Amino acid sequence: MNLPWFKRIGIFFIPANFIGWIIFVFGIIFAIYSFLDIDGRSHSVSDTLMNFVFMLLIIGAAYSLIAYATSGAGKK
Amino acid sequence: MQPILTFNIIGMKNDNFEMRLTEMTKPKIPQLKHEDMLGVAIANAKDKSIVSLWWLSVPVFIILMLVMKSIYMPGTTLVSNMSEMEIRNRYSSIIFFLISPIVIIVFNALSIRKIHFLSGSPKLIYFLGAIWINILAISLSVIVLIIYSL
Repeated sequence: MNLPWFKRIGIFFIPANFIGWIIFVFGIIFAIYSFLDIDGRSHSVSDTLMNFVFMLLIIGAAYSLIAYATSGAGKK
Repeated sequence: MQPILTFNIIGMKNDNFEMRLTEMTKPKIPQLKHEDMLGVAIANAKDKSIVSLWWLSVPVFIILMLVMKSIYMPGTTLVSNMSEMEIRNRYSSIIFFLISPIVIIVFNALSIRKIHFLSGSPKLIYFLGAIWINILAISLSVIVLIIYSL
């Protein structure tokens, strides 16, 4: 459980630890599941993309918050 | 005999002391602590600004979608679409349009204040170069708050 779990490169937080990779993979799997779920309920391609991008931004925001909290930013 | 012996011992001690003095070097400080603190403060401010931009991307995306809706659907405006969305999604709109912009403004303003305090009186161009992402995050937050309050 040693910090940091993530390191920042540009606007992305990249996993730097095994737990970081688990969170990253979980985020990817959840994004794929969201895409399939939205695609199953949508009526057109634009409908799918608009809802999926919105969900992707929410996943990215939650991921970046977790990554910031566990990147040891305040303990350097 | 005793005073001569004492003198010799003192002389030996003095020689050793002189040798130690000649071998002695000045302590060197590789890096100033203040410089470290400033570097950490700037890195933290950048991390915070990146998280802020991720959180701001959600309301900005919604606003862009509502602008498109108001353009392509006749008889609707951005304000009417915003109020309709607010009625449908009360809690999420409060989180993304009110709470998160205010939190982002406060955190980024505190980061800028800390960098300004640690850097003394920096040149404006260097100071802006260090905090431009924080200023961008604050500006976007203010725009989101203004649109939400319409």
